[in-house]
Amino acid sequence: MIGPQTLVFLLIGASILLILVVVIRPSITASREGKIIAFLALFIVPVVAAGVGASEHMERSEQTQFCLSCHIMEPYGRSLYVDDTAYIPAAHFQNHRIPADKACYTCHTDYAMFGTIHAKLEGLHHVYVYWFGTPMNPIRLYQPYNNRECLHCHSGARSFEDSPTHTAMMGDLKSNKLSCTTSGCHDTFHNVDQLGHVKFWKPTE
Amino acid sequence: MLHKLRLSGILLILGLVVEALSLGWNNAFSFMSFVVVGGLLFASGILLFLYSLVSSKTSSLNN
Repeated sequence: MIGPQTLVFLLIGASILLILVVVIRPSITASREGKIIAFLALFIVPVVAAGVGASEHMERSEQTQFCLSCHIMEPYGRSLYVDDTAYIPAAHFQNHRIPADKACYTCHTDYAMFGTIHAKLEGLHHVYVYWFGTPMNPIRLYQPYNNRECLHCHSGARSFEDSPTHTAMMGDLKSNKLSCTTSGCHDTFHNVDQLGHVKFWKPTE
Repeated sequence: MLHKLRLSGILLILGLVVEALSLGWNNAFSFMSFVVVGGLLFASGILLFLYSLVSSKTSSLNN
């Protein structure tokens, strides 16, 4: 089975070969067949190759490695290894409650209509600000964290639904009236300013 | 027209090479290279090709 990256490279290779035919012998465009080849070589195939490449890049941008490639995100990456179960991101990451290779994206995307597109646009904005602007310091969320993102996985899970505390306030949790993250129950997150005073978990190779 | 086709092809090849190189890494820099450098080369190549089509049609009509 051909992987997406191999497919992109094959398309790029095929595209370059076709373009070279036109570049080396542009006179072929005098004939009708030559015009069709030129249109394929200089428009259709490159557009498809670029589209598949862009799609592959967008897919990769969901990976933890991508988010942490910006220097400013480095402490947030370290916070995933804090050896303290009170740290919500660390506990989720270390116990694979979220995919470890897409840790940032899984919790920081919007599980709503067009949520993925919204998350990608925000990601593009982050990259733009990182390279051409001044990132906010300290980093803050654009909006308060929505319970919807927690409930996307936890809703319906036995450990969540069976908890009497959750059951008593389920309506308020689902309507986002009572925040999971700021109501005093689950309020320890990346806390990057305290990373100098915590123990870290070292995964075994 | 032939000169424009050649130039368009060269720009597209350069854009595709940048795209291929950018896929070698998974970080914000490679993504920005793909979008900014690759995208500019690619867009210039495509636009030049389309312009060559339109301008050759115009010149043949004038003749």
